[in-house]
Order: sequence, then C-alpha cells, then structure tokens
Amino acid sequence: MKKHLHSKHGILFTLMRVTFFQLLCIGFLSAMSYAHTSPAQELLNRDVTLKVSNVTLSEALDRIESSAQVRFAYSRDLIRLSQPVAVTAQREPLSSVLDKLLIPLKIDYRVVNNQILLSKSKKLSIATPALLDNRLPERVMPLEVAIRGTVTGADNTEPLPGVSVVVKGTSQGTTTDASGNYQLTVPGPSSVLVFSFVGYLSQEVTVGNRQQVNVRLEADVKALNEVVVVGYGTVKKSDLTGSVSSVGSEELTAYPALGTVQALQGRAAGVQIQANNGEPGANFKVRIRGGTSINASSDPIYVVDGFVGGAIPPPEDIESLEVLKDASATAIYGSRGANGVIMITTKRGKSGKPRIDFNTSFSAQNEINRLDLLNAEQFGAYIKEARPNYVSAGANTDWQDEIFRTGGIQNHQLSISGGSDAVNYYLSGALYDQTGIILNSGFKRFSITSNVEVKASNRLRIGLNLFAQRNEKEQAFTQEGSGGLTPGVVASAFKFEPDQPIRDPQTGRFTVARLNDPHDNPYAVATELKNEQLSDRIQGNLFAEYDILEGLKFRTTLGATTNSGRFGYFAPTSLNEGRIVGGRASVNGSKSTQLLNENYLTYSRTIGDIHDFSVMGGYSYQTSSSENWGGTGQSFITDAVSYWNLGGSSVWQSPTSGLTEWQLGSYYGRINYSLLDRYLFTANIRRDGSSNFSRNHKWATFPSGAFAWKMSNEPFMQNFEAISQWKWRVSYGLTGNQAIEPYQTLARFSNVFTIIDGVPVNAVRPTTVANDDLTWETTAQFDVGADISLFNNRINLVLDYYRMVTRDLLFSVQLPQYSGYATQLQNIGSVENKGFELTVNTRNTTGALKWNTDINFSLNRNKVLRLPGGTELQYSAAPGHLVGLGNTHILREGYPVGSFFGWTYEGVYQQGDGFLPGGGFEQAAGGEKFRDTNGDGTLNSNDRTIIGNPNPDFIWGLNNEFSWKGFDLNLFFQGSQGNDILSYTLMELNLLSGINNATTAALNRWTPTNTNTDVPRAFAGRTRRVSTRWIYDGSYVRLKNLAVGYNLPASVTRKLGMTKLRVYASAQNILTLTQYEGYDPEVNYASEGATNSNRNLGLDYGSYPNAKSYTIGLNIGF
Amino acid sequence: MKRFLNKFTLLTLTGLLLLGCADLEERPVGILAPESLFRTSQDVRTAIFGAYGWMATERLYGRQFVTALLLRGDMADIGDRGTPAERQQVNDFNMDDNNNMVNVFWPYWYQVISAANAAIAGAESLNLPENEINPLIAEARFIRAFSYYHLVQVFGDVPYLDRFISDPNLVKDIAKTPAATIYQNIIADLEYGKQWLPDKQPSDVRSRATKGTAASYLASVHLTLADYQKAYNEAKFVIDNKDRFGYGLVDDFQTLFRAPQPANLREHVFAIDFLGLQSGSGGANDDIMPPMTGVRGGDAPRSGWSVAVPSMAVYNTWDSRDYRKEVSMEDSLLIGGKLQPYTVFPNTKRPHIAKYSRYAGNSNAEGRYSDHNYAAMRYAEVLLIAAEALGEVSGANAEAVGYVNQVRARARNWAGRQTNFPEAVAPGMSKEAFINLVLEERRLELAFEYKRWYDIKRRKLGEQVFKGPNSLEPHPNFDPNRDYLMPLPRVELQVNPNLGPQNPGY
Repeated sequence: MKKHLHSKHGILFTLMRVTFFQLLCIGFLSAMSYAHTSPAQELLNRDVTLKVSNVTLSEALDRIESSAQVRFAYSRDLIRLSQPVAVTAQREPLSSVLDKLLIPLKIDYRVVNNQILLSKSKKLSIATPALLDNRLPERVMPLEVAIRGTVTGADNTEPLPGVSVVVKGTSQGTTTDASGNYQLTVPGPSSVLVFSFVGYLSQEVTVGNRQQVNVRLEADVKALNEVVVVGYGTVKKSDLTGSVSSVGSEELTAYPALGTVQALQGRAAGVQIQANNGEPGANFKVRIRGGTSINASSDPIYVVDGFVGGAIPPPEDIESLEVLKDASATAIYGSRGANGVIMITTKRGKSGKPRIDFNTSFSAQNEINRLDLLNAEQFGAYIKEARPNYVSAGANTDWQDEIFRTGGIQNHQLSISGGSDAVNYYLSGALYDQTGIILNSGFKRFSITSNVEVKASNRLRIGLNLFAQRNEKEQAFTQEGSGGLTPGVVASAFKFEPDQPIRDPQTGRFTVARLNDPHDNPYAVATELKNEQLSDRIQGNLFAEYDILEGLKFRTTLGATTNSGRFGYFAPTSLNEGRIVGGRASVNGSKSTQLLNENYLTYSRTIGDIHDFSVMGGYSYQTSSSENWGGTGQSFITDAVSYWNLGGSSVWQSPTSGLTEWQLGSYYGRINYSLLDRYLFTANIRRDGSSNFSRNHKWATFPSGAFAWKMSNEPFMQNFEAISQWKWRVSYGLTGNQAIEPYQTLARFSNVFTIIDGVPVNAVRPTTVANDDLTWETTAQFDVGADISLFNNRINLVLDYYRMVTRDLLFSVQLPQYSGYATQLQNIGSVENKGFELTVNTRNTTGALKWNTDINFSLNRNKVLRLPGGTELQYSAAPGHLVGLGNTHILREGYPVGSFFGWTYEGVYQQGDGFLPGGGFEQAAGGEKFRDTNGDGTLNSNDRTIIGNPNPDFIWGLNNEFSWKGFDLNLFFQGSQGNDILSYTLMELNLLSGINNATTAALNRWTPTNTNTDVPRAFAGRTRRVSTRWIYDGSYVRLKNLAVGYNLPASVTRKLGMTKLRVYASAQNILTLTQYEGYDPEVNYASEGATNSNRNLGLDYGSYPNAKSYTIGLNIGF
Repeated sequence: MKRFLNKFTLLTLTGLLLLGCADLEERPVGILAPESLFRTSQDVRTAIFGAYGWMATERLYGRQFVTALLLRGDMADIGDRGTPAERQQVNDFNMDDNNNMVNVFWPYWYQVISAANAAIAGAESLNLPENEINPLIAEARFIRAFSYYHLVQVFGDVPYLDRFISDPNLVKDIAKTPAATIYQNIIADLEYGKQWLPDKQPSDVRSRATKGTAASYLASVHLTLADYQKAYNEAKFVIDNKDRFGYGLVDDFQTLFRAPQPANLREHVFAIDFLGLQSGSGGANDDIMPPMTGVRGGDAPRSGWSVAVPSMAVYNTWDSRDYRKEVSMEDSLLIGGKLQPYTVFPNTKRPHIAKYSRYAGNSNAEGRYSDHNYAAMRYAEVLLIAAEALGEVSGANAEAVGYVNQVRARARNWAGRQTNFPEAVAPGMSKEAFINLVLEERRLELAFEYKRWYDIKRRKLGEQVFKGPNSLEPHPNFDPNRDYLMPLPRVELQVNPNLGPQNPGY
C-alpha cells in the first residue's frame, strides 16, 4: 500500500495523494477528529484568478491550491494527472473554476474538512445509458439550441452563483454567474440539464422546446457529510446501525435555558426530562427510555468531547448533542451505558477569518400558576369547625403575594472562532444571570470555553479543550426533607395561616404558625434564611491523534476535571430555627477530582468498493476522588456575620469530613463492517472493572451487536422515486449500571455521638453489613428500528421499538430490623422497559414560506418482572414532617416502579351510615370513608392497593418552524399523557385537620348542612393517609416556546459590517393545558434529596414553581 | 508494516501497563471496618458506649419511645390535638400496626441490642483474662437486658437475638420468642451483670451500669413478673449496699429535674445522659421532651408544643400541699412577659408537665437539646419496689412502710422548707390498701417518668383507670384483650412472615 502514498509538504499547504479506497477513510477519520466539517460553501466561494493553458492537471491543481488556499486530495490511480487542461478565471468563485476544469474531465469533487476530494464521476461511469448518450452526437447531428436561465435557492429565491449546469451525458457545461444566470448551448430538445451545487440536491431538467430554464434548487438537508458522534468516533448518519437522536445547536439555544439539559426537553424521542423544581439552578431528572433502575441512578452519562463525566457546557457552546439509546450505541460505555449516553460536542474553530458571534437575551419571568387558597375569613370559619377555641389573629395576608415577584434572566454569550490550516480556535464566554421569581432566589452561571487544535505535523494533531465555570446559587428554601423547624418557602406560602400578618404588631417579630408546629411564615423564610451555594469547575481535556499508517490512527486523551464547592447556611435569630439557639450557621466545602485517560486505535479500510470496515480498540482508566468537610456553629453575638464566623459561635457542633474514591479500568473495542453500502454490521465490546463492587465481582463484560440494511440501496428499490432512504436496524446487547456509592459492599461501624460523664466520647455501633456479591445491574436491550426518508427527504421518519430487561437491580433491601440493620444494598429481581419511539421531520412547504415540523413521540412501559421470592417491597418517599404517613410506594411484580400504594377513598360518611371499624379510621358522619378492599369487615393496612402509576403513557414534543423572507416563527409544544401525580401539597392543605390553610376546595367540606360532597368535615384528629383522594392525572400539554425572529437581509447587515443580525422575541411556558389541580404538573418533589431515584416519581410537594418567561434577544455575527 | 507492528505493540504494552496499575481494591479512609475494630478492651468499651449513646436519641429516651409510654398511661393526655395522629392514636387506644411511633423506635432498640452484641462478640474475640473482660461483657449484657426489658413489656413476644449478626439472612426467618423466655434471658443477663459489674464505674457515673444497676433492674423484672420474694431480695440487696454503690435520695426533689444534673447524682441508679445543645447524626443526643411537654405559646425558654399534657383530673386530684406536684407540674407561666395561669394558656388550657421543661439547662429556647440526665431508674423507685414486693410477701409491716416513708420524708422538704405533707404512713394497714398506696405513691413520685404504663400493665389496671368512675383520663374504648400490647411494626411481619401472628386485635 505504501507505494501509493505520495505527499508534498508546504508550509501552509499539503497535498495528499491517497488511494481511492482511502477517501472514505479520510472523511471518516477527519470527521472523527473535527467532529464537524466546515461549511463547504465558504470554501467554494473563495475568489480565484487563474489563467493556464496547456498545463497538466497536476500543475493546474497546484496553482489553484496556492491561489485559493485550498488543498486537494485524490487517488493517483483514478485521476490522471498528466492530462493537459486549460482554464481561465478572473475573480471567479472556486466552484465555478473547478466546474470548468473538472466536469469536462469527468471528475467529481466535494469538500471534506477543508480538503477537496477528487473522484471519478460515478454518474458517468456507472450509468450506462449516459455512455450511449455520449455517443449520440456522433451519430445524429442535432439542432443546437441556446438555453438561458436563472438558478435560485428554493428556500429564499436568492440567486445561486457558481451552480454547475451540465448537459447530461456530455462534457458540455457551464456555471451560473454572480446573479445566478447561465447560458448554454445544448444538442436538442431531448437534452437533459443537470444542475448541481454543493449543499444542494442535484436536479435534472429536460429542456424540451424551452429557451429559458429556471431552476430552484433544494437545499440538501441531509448533506452527505452529516456525521453523528458516537462513542469513540463518528459515523455518517446514513451508516448508523444503532438508535441515536441528534439535537443541533439551534434547537438547544431556541430559548434561554437554565442549562443544556433543560434545553433538551421535548427535543428527542425517548428522552424524558422533568424539572425537579423550578428553582434557579435546579437539576433535572433525565430518563432515556424509562428508568432501568430502582435504587441506583437511572440518569444517563454525559460524554463531553470524549470525556466521560465531563462538565456539561452551556447550550451556546454546543455544536451538537447526540443521545445514544440502544445497546449497540451504548455498550461501548459498558458498565455505565444502561441509562443511555448523551454525547456533547462543543463548537470548534473553522479555517478562515475570525468570526465573532454575540448572542444576548433578556427575559422577564412570573410564576406559572397559583393555588386558590382560603382567605382569612374563610380560613377562620374552617378552623373553628375543627377547633372551636380558635380566635382569628385579625389580618388577611395572601402569602403567595408576599413571596412571588417578577424575576428575570439575562443571557449573554460572546464567541470568537477561526483558524488557519495549522491552528483552529474557538473562544467563548457565557453569562447566565437569573433572578428568581421568589424573593431572594437567583442563579448565576459564568463560563469560558477554549477549544484549540493544532496540526503539529502532517500526521499529528493535538487539541486542548479548557472549560471553566462558576455557578452561584442563592436558594429559596424548598424541598424540605423532614420536619425541621424551617418550612419550605413555597409549601409555607400555601399552608401558612392567612389571618396572620408578616410581623406581630406588638413585638415586631415575624409571626409563626399558631395552629401547627410554630413554623416561621414564608416571607420570613424567604427573606431571612441564607442558603447559598458556590461551585467552581475547571476542566482540561487534551487529545493527541497520530496517523500511524494510512487508515490507522491512534488517539489518546487525558482529561482532568475538578469541582470545588461551598455551601453556606445561616438561620438568623429573626427565624425560629435561629432564635432558639442564638443563630445557627454552617459551612460545608467539597472538592472532587476526576482523571480520565483514554487510548484507542482506529483502523479503517475499504476493499474493492464492496467491503468497508473499521476497527477500533482501546483502553481507559478513570479515577475519582471526592472530599468534603464542614462545620456548624450556634449562638452568635450578632446576625451580621452570617456563616462567615463560625469561630464566633459559642456552641460548636461536631465537624464533619469524608473522602470517597473510586477507580474504573476498561478495555473496549468495536468492529464496523459495511458490505456494498447496503449491509452494515457493528459489534461492540467493553470490559469494565470497578472498585465500587464487591471483591467477587469487580469485572464484567458488556457486548453488543447490530445489523442494518440500507434497503433503499438495493437495485430493486431504485424505481421507487418517493423513497430517498430506507434503512432497517436491529441491535441487541448488554449494558451495565454501576451507579452506586463507593464502599457499599463493605461492612462498617459508624460513629455514635455519646456522652459519658458529661463529655462526648468515642463510640460506635454496627450500621452496615457486608455484601461480597454486590455487582452491576445488567440491562439486556433489543432494538429494532427504521430510518426512512421520503420525497427527496421532505419527510424523514425514525421508528424504534425496544425492549430492555434490567436484572440484578441494585436495591436497598429492607432487612428484618430486629437484626439491628435497616437495609442492605443487594442485587435483586428484574425490571422491564419496552416502548416505541417515533421521530418525524417534515418540510411541509419549501417555497418562499418555509414550514418545517418536527414531532417526537415516546411510549414506554415499565414493569417489575421479578422480585426475590416474589415478595413485594414497600417504601416511603414523602416529606418527613408529614409524620404518620408510613409507606407510600410499593414494588410488586407485574407493576411499574414507583407505583403509589394506599387506600381507596370513597367519599365521606353520611349520617346513619354503617362505619367500618379499624384503628385510626374515622367513624363519624363527614369522616373520610375508605374501601374495605379485602372485604374482611375492618379497615387496616391490608386494605391498601396500588392506586396510581407515575409513569406516563406517552410523552411527545411538537416543533413547528416557519420562515418567510427574513422572518421566522417557532412554536414548540411538549406534553406528557397519562401520568399520575401524588400530591403531598394538596394532602397537606386539604386534610382539613385544622392545622393549616387549605385550598378553596375546603369551602365544599362536609357539614351537617352540606352533605352532598366528597370533601370531608374539618376534624382535628384525622390521620394522613395515602389514598386515591390525593392521586391526580398529571397529563399536560405545554407551549414551551413561542418565538418570532427577524433576520435582517444580507444587504443591510453587510452595510453594518455584520454577517448576521437577528432579533427575536419569545415566550416560554405561557400556555398549559392540564386537569391537574395542583399548581403545576411539571414538578417533582425530591424526597430525601434523591432526585435521581426512580423511587420518587410523580410526587408534588411545595416545589419551586416553573416560570413563564417573556424574552427578547439578539444574535449578531461579524 | 513492521514499523506499524512495532508501534502497535508498544502502544498496547503501554496500555496494559497503565491498566495493570488500575487498582480496583477499595481502601476507604475514615470508615470503620468491623474486622479491624476490636483490638483492645478499649475498643469493646467504644461499642458499649455506642449502645448507650443510641439510647440517648430522639427515637428512644429523647422523644419517641418515652412519649409513647407517657401517652399510653393515664397521667398524660394529648394536649394540642393538632399533633400528628400517630400520637393521638397511641394515647387513645386507637393505633394500628402501621403506627409510626412504633415504626421509629422499634428498630432503635434492636440497634442498641446489635451494638451490645457486637461488643460481646468483640470482647470474646480478645482472649483476655476474665476479670478484665467479663465486666465489659457484663455491661453489654446489661444493655441487652435493658432493651429487652422494654421491648417485652411493650410488645410481649418479640424476636430475641443474643449474638452479633453479620449476615441478616441467617435470622430472616426466625419466629418470635415467647415473653416468658425473654424474661428468663433478661434475668440471666442481669444476674451475670450483678456478678461481674463493678460497684462503681469510673467517676461514679450513673449512665453506665454497675452491680447496683443490675440488681435494681432484677428487682424491677421480678416485680413485673409478680415474683415478689425475688423482687424484694434484689431491692433489699441494693438498699443494704446503698453506701457501697453510692445510692441515696437527693434532699430536694427538684434537684432530680434541674439540668444539668451531675453525672454521679446519688439518686440515679441508671441515667440517660444528654449534653446541652449538642447533637449527633441519627437523632443522637437530641432530647425533645422539654418542648413536647412544654407550653405552646409560653415565653422562651419555657415554650413548647403542648403535645403531652396531663388531663385536668391529674392536677385536680393531686393534693396541692405535695411539693412533688409543684415540681412535676406547671400551672402558670410567663406569657408575653406576664405570669399567666393555665386557664389562659394560648393553646392548651391545662397545667403542663414541668419535670422536663422547667429547668432544661443549657438548651435551645424551647428546651430542646437539653442538658438533662434522665433517671431510667432511681433509688426512690428501688425503695418503692422493696415496699411493694415486701408488702405482697409480708403485708404492710414496718419495714415495708418504712421504705415508703423514706420517699415521703424527702417530699416534705419544700425546697429547704420542711412541710408536713405527705405525712408518714403508719404500719398496720391491710395488704391490699398498702399495695394500692404504694402504687399511688409510684404514680405521684414517678409521675411522667414513663413508669405508669408499665404499672397499669403489670397490675392489669386498665379497666379501672380508663373506664372506672375515678378515671383520670377516661378511654371507654380501652380493650384489655388488645391494648396491653402494642402491635409489632407491620413492615417487620412483611419482611419475615414467621413473626406472625400479630398481637391480638391489630
């Protein structure tokens, strides 16, 4: 092979001569390193001035290289360099020059990564009739006809200069001029003109009797080079064998989003993203094809520019985002792939002049909804029924009014990118500054990204990605986990007594609850409590890629990321919590570091235009270390020092510190084989060893395989004009989940705070038993799908059916508590997720008014297949201060994870009804009536059943984009159907046990004179019970984004010295259709902080509300 | 090709080398591994201390367990009916087998037992001479006995574990042990304790068990089992050796309830030691009894939540000349800076319990995280056990009456001023009257100290005290076939169905 390789080195330019077989490889490999090609258009528009005659093709190409600063790549075997050519051009676009030069020689060209690849024209060599046509002029002397016309883009009717116009089957041709006009003489009316232009679909037109042929070219939305990023490489979209969804940068930046994860909501089939909380800076729950796990995390892993677990950059810095869904795509990430993989590729610099982009937007925000609560008078009437001694405090306060305000977001990003052949750079700074809709809450994110790539030699490329980010979060306290003294701001705004003012008029102090525990009022909590987080992330990711041989590349990466954080909390003496101890402050610090080294070889080869294969193999080693420390002090001289003077507290609490470390070592490999560009095979394998698992199970292997059939490339499909592409895919494989904390396999004793002789002493007790058999969760996934493009890619469909079975579920199994232990992490049972996904992209109209529609639809069914011994497992996921609730959820074979478990509410008892006996159940008219499910005549725990399923029947997103002239309109709906919500908020409010405010539903409570109701009477001794009374349909449809934009015409921007100027106005979340009685169906209470757990799906309790936003913004390019 | 192969080999080797360094063993820093924990007798003590510390938690002596005992009796009722239903149900004999008070204190008792068993296993593994190690084993066995002493009285038959469990699967199918057997095991542990425990612990602290502690609990267990001769013998042993053990009545009754109590308070036979304003994880050292019993709306530091509040009859029937009533109850309090009678208390217009909240010592403004050392057993109770047991065996003789009179004599010391109430008991009354008198004496002397429910249960007084004409706290639904035992947590029966059947009536 080596003898075919000819290279010529210059300082700036390189001419590579490689075999034809390697052309594909170059495309593949260079795409792999750059991830995305630069716009070919820019390159082909470069001005060329040239006048050569009677020189060899080789020489002509050299001249063009130096004139246009481009490089050619071609196979010497196929391109005859010695043939004489002549070409003349005076400041003409490169494309025009190339057309003149190459089309007559039957040479095709296309741009790949700033290189122009030359190949033999397939059209001529393959299409036999063309050859016959070619001879036609020799036999018949046709009438020569002069044809003229204009070529424009179909989307905007702007003239297209440089379009190649060739008479089919001949060497006759020309290109359009700057106004898109052409002129050509053709042999006769039967002549067919072929219009082709890079980035557009070619079009053939029969001349007929016309003298003017105007053509509108369709943009090639599925450009040949469109590649998607997969694990350890890239692949042409058309060659994908697995199930992968791509989301582009425009979708990610359609509206100001808290972060990339939020921006992904509703954008990809099979991806469910749920706000845990509307709090500025809050996390999201991400599920790809449902939750595979019960106890361990079901969050996907994020791979940022190849860095597993790298920091997620802000949306503006992302070039593309790929969601890997089936086992064929994810198994290369082995033990971490079971929940799907989100591959993020950041933006890179492109050769050429420095390009400056500035994006800015301002938003105003308000809470999405409010609850209708009782006013002071209604409240007083209700409370008196439960507690006759009650006397109103006399005020009338709307607590929602007191804590909500108009918030806002400022979002700015400035980037500079550019490069030469040797160096590419992308520098960006982004600022996101959100003022929350609750007093004193906000979030600020500032980040800088620097991506630099250096071509150190012809064979070696080195790149460095640097990312630094600071997050500052000022939290409104919500999501209270247990019965501390301080209630969450939102829950408190709902439940706090409306007959109290903000401050006690006598003492001037903040009022506290009089009926229930003496909690602070919501205004006091919102304004007085300090709850602040600061985190700094610094990440560097270095890669080097070396071409060892043609087709053989070695790539090594070394990534390091460190995250340090500080959390400060201060309850001043103006709050109950602080008052009783003279102020309470704590500061906790943390620092975590991850190192990742990946090394892999990729070898690609094409044999005889039939066999195309690539092999990848490598190893990686990753370590993580997390440390934390903290201190708490009570009783300060003054509230002024906040949490910054713990030393000044007179009561010190035990400090804390901890260290956890893990290591992961892996080997992995992949083979791709393509036969005749029709039959595609992929096999992956990864072997992972993790320190987190027990000594008997440190290592495991995760294989997968896939087959795809490009049916549309079969000869028998060639007659179906309507079908542009039709590919079948099928895959099967194993992936793992190792998302458990380190050291969970080990037995341990824990410290106990003990006093002997009046002083603390060292003391321990056994807390955890060892599990020497703890191992990975393994998910076996089967996927079958099809990628279909119809009518010249006007309609694109992606369909997938999958079935995943996860076994060896990591679950904290309830132990018999008399053993002295509470739970043990074990591998138990199995869970199934199966579903169907559909993505449809259509280009409905393509004229002056362009209308595109994207639909994605995901349906997932989750089911527990097996539990140890068939025994069901109950657990609780509820706010701790709702004492007495007991277990709220159940795992039962045949039912979904997260099923709500409780009694069936049957309305209220009426006078004269027979009361069912049962400890703790009401036996009075107006009392809550429950169903005796098991029919044993008494009410007790045995009457509980599964009463709800938080998993949606399906979720969907619908995006419509319209553009007309410079205007564009975006409408993005997102929805969820058939998911149940268990509302702890409404349970707390409408229990009607006379301890807090209620919604206006309480006005319809049972009284001796209002008996026709299902709202029970006010009664102080009522037990909180999970029952169907608190289960609601959480289906919703939400208008996520409505945006109108205007791109100023090029003629205007050019005058302003800009390449782009777009102004837009948009609105988010302004319309929600739902039956849910709570204030927002899109919330998710994070019980016990475990936001990533599937155990607490569909729970609503006092979450920070989502906001509706009104945004104006500007995108400028220079 | 050769060069390619060389490079490939080199790279692969480098890779394998790097991966060879991949160390997948876990070596946690800062985590205590059981296999390496027990090296000296000091380590055994560390586990014993862990068991003590776990009693001084919110789940046991800081709130849940003792509140359940308090509410179950006839001396304390629910004050604020806005308090969680689970408490109201324990008080009102309306609980189900999912009652969360039970759910939270049940596991803690067994965790205390687990720590004690771990200490015993650790001690036995050291192969130290018996005079060095047996006192530690005895201390752990005392803790185990103390835990089962409570469990068996509250629940009857329960699972009994007397060895350290490193694999819970080994015990996941066990059945309940009959209460009678558990009592025998408790007695065996306490007798071992009486044999091997020291007369005094270092610094004479009362939060660690001694020979006297073991004997006092033996007396209490025998009394519970109505084995009055043995109960008397054990109590008598303690009384006879009171100087050796450092026991006696404190002069002023209030001293017992004025935090901080010294760690060697002479009346304390066994104390649960809380330290003011400190807390550990898992509710350790978190004493919430002052706010649970304190006055809702009262001025700091005496404000509380009015959860467990005596019914009016408790106050009205208690002779106001009794200093112990003054110490035990609060009938007026500063509210808004003014001393207000209970009739205008903001939330619950009843006299409140004062033993915990009045002098919580160094604590937060509600009395939480108090500095109390709570008497789980105090010398006055030993005297009253002796009186009751001897009364049963020999009638109201001078010795038996004398024990009651010691307790009454101290009560006549009204903060240094001698009164003449309660007057001394004269010998010669009928046995039945004397037994009733002792039980009444226990009710008042040990008021709100979590003893009353056990007295009602062992003497089967339920029908009388909850349904009788003189009931302090009527509960017409009291069911003697059901309510002398609480239900085992339902979740335990689900995990291990062999624990069935559930106690009757649940």
